[in-house]
Amino acid sequence: MSQTAQDQSVEEVVAALGRQNGTTLGRVLGRGSVGLAEEGADGRMRATIRIPEDDLVYEPRVLVLPHAGEVELTLINDDKNTHCAVLPSNGDYQFIWLVNSSKGTAVLDLDGPGYYWYGSRTGNDEGRGLTGAIVVQGDAPPEARLDRPPQPRP
Amino acid sequence: MATDYVDAGQAVGNSTLSGIIGKAPAVTQGVNYDRIRNARSEPQNWLTYYGAYDGQRYSPLDQINKDNVRRLTPAWMFQCGSVGLHAGKSTYSFEASPIVVDGVMFLSGWDGWVWALDARSGELLWQYRHAIPFDVSLCCGNVNRGVAVADGMVFVVTLNAHIIALDAETGKKVWDKTYGDVRAGESATVAPLAVKDMVIVGSSGGEFGVRGHADAFKRETGEHVWRCYMVPKPGEPGSDTWPAEGEAWARGGANCWVTSTFDPDLNLLYFGTGNPCPDFDGGVREGDNLYTDSGVAVDVDTGEIKAHFQYTPHDLWDYDSTMEHILFDLDGQKLAAHFDKNGFLYILDRTNMQPVRVAPFVDRIDWGEVDEKGNVTPLRYPEAEGDPVHFWPGPAGAKEWTHAAYSPDTELLYCPVQDVGATATRRRREFKESIPYWGAGVAVDLEDMAGSISAFDPRTGREAWRWANDIPMCASVLATRGGLVFAGEPTGEFNALDASSGEHLWQFQCGSGHHSSPCTYSVDGRQFIAVPTGWGAWTEGFLPGMLGAGQGSSLIAFALPED
Repeated sequence: MSQTAQDQSVEEVVAALGRQNGTTLGRVLGRGSVGLAEEGADGRMRATIRIPEDDLVYEPRVLVLPHAGEVELTLINDDKNTHCAVLPSNGDYQFIWLVNSSKGTAVLDLDGPGYYWYGSRTGNDEGRGLTGAIVVQGDAPPEARLDRPPQPRP
Repeated sequence: MATDYVDAGQAVGNSTLSGIIGKAPAVTQGVNYDRIRNARSEPQNWLTYYGAYDGQRYSPLDQINKDNVRRLTPAWMFQCGSVGLHAGKSTYSFEASPIVVDGVMFLSGWDGWVWALDARSGELLWQYRHAIPFDVSLCCGNVNRGVAVADGMVFVVTLNAHIIALDAETGKKVWDKTYGDVRAGESATVAPLAVKDMVIVGSSGGEFGVRGHADAFKRETGEHVWRCYMVPKPGEPGSDTWPAEGEAWARGGANCWVTSTFDPDLNLLYFGTGNPCPDFDGGVREGDNLYTDSGVAVDVDTGEIKAHFQYTPHDLWDYDSTMEHILFDLDGQKLAAHFDKNGFLYILDRTNMQPVRVAPFVDRIDWGEVDEKGNVTPLRYPEAEGDPVHFWPGPAGAKEWTHAAYSPDTELLYCPVQDVGATATRRRREFKESIPYWGAGVAVDLEDMAGSISAFDPRTGREAWRWANDIPMCASVLATRGGLVFAGEPTGEFNALDASSGEHLWQFQCGSGHHSSPCTYSVDGRQFIAVPTGWGAWTEGFLPGMLGAGQGSSLIAFALPED
């Protein structure tokens, strides 16, 4: 049985935001681990995303790419439930079905900079937490930038 | 113990799980400059954004006419909806004008979508979706205003400021060029224009303190041909209209996010430019601030500015002039008609951009006075810090970016009119790249508003007739040789009016409001009227009284019954 709101400290409330059926029913989006894609000798970016048991999240929750381009993901479902991933990519969403204890791949073409959400459209996965982010670092190419002096940023 | 994983394979494109054919007929291979230049000679098609380079939004088709329009009925409908979280969650509505070539419709939507449809049945032939970063800066909704087609390719801009070329038969990407800096707050929403061997685009981001520009790219390769900045650098012509000290010019705005019109004989593109930055606070940018709020004639081959007219010098009301310049010849004169946000209709000599006549087109104007030569006397504007000032028209303008039409049959201009005011309270702020750069708190009126489709005689500037509505009209109109003017309402009704009298002849409730550009075409002799619908975008700016209205996203094609 959960504590009432009056019984909890702020720290307990915040900690429970990061687990299933704590403060919330699922997990608040955007919280959790951060991972970096690795760039191979062939220039291709690669990363692994896992779905751990009974946590309804993608790990890492935020995947950071060093620059725009193609990234090859290995997706592993370690959970005892079936999930999927609907992933952003130029041309079309990429869809992969991930039954319990399965492993697959996805190749994404992202031109950033900026960040992209992806998620599982299975059942109630999205609301419970199966929504991740992919961050693309970098800048617009020099020829596309404005002809003006450097400007202050926030 | 190591897990023995089931092989889930490799992710597949969503389209492979949709029943989409994945192939369109090769109808655009022969669409070249000559055909687009003579677009009105093939009325079965809607070959370019406005239907023709002149921006008249007029079709010679007359199968649907004022005698039979009461029988008009939906023939097919296209919907897409939305998946997951996307940028600009305030909307996923249409703002596009469809392009139609020999029975195939090419259409863009929100969030990077492009579709090819069978224009007779509505069947989806292929789709492309550009992945749009969630955090791209969007002033006015997750929208796109359309595509261009030529030489077997479809050209479209993306919200993260790319211009891409797609294979018109498959929807596969051919080339991709970046022409804006999303870290500076730039984006792209304009429908490209195919001219000669180029495709012409403009930048968005005028509320983020960028420096507006138009760009030309080679259609075949994507090679960059020219860039035309709409705010001059120090030392360039017009730079004396900006403060000599500081960098106000570098943040000056003047974005051209609406498709230009084009006169092939004069070799000139006619761009409308956006507001100066920051909006409302003129104290940090003393001077007229060229070429903001202007009509700008640009040499299509070089990108050089040849002539201009500034509608609202030193703008303090957010009166963009991005909306179209309709090109037409009358009584031996080469003219351009422009309904400006500031509430005045300008008839210009398009050879030199000098005004021939100026006339008001909305009932309530108190921001200032404009004489018959276009000279401005400001009357009501935010001046003192923290002091609220109410003015008409509000920053949405007496006409938004959505388009008017001109019929050579009636020789009348048809304008969707918005009569709504606003209160602005000046609040000065520092400039920071990528952060909205506004100089006021603004509240658009929630009550006491009106709208109309109004017809104007370009010879006199006088109103010929008016079909009145109790709220503003915010969608483009379409005129046809059938003696009809089509116009959608924010409340979802799609109307046909008598082009000569304004008499209301037909209506269909589309289920969500209109904020896009209908077109007409025919397939095997059957005329269709296609209207993209769906309420949304920066509703808080142009009609906050309808902010809570249902947001949909359907394209509906109407036709007469076949029997």
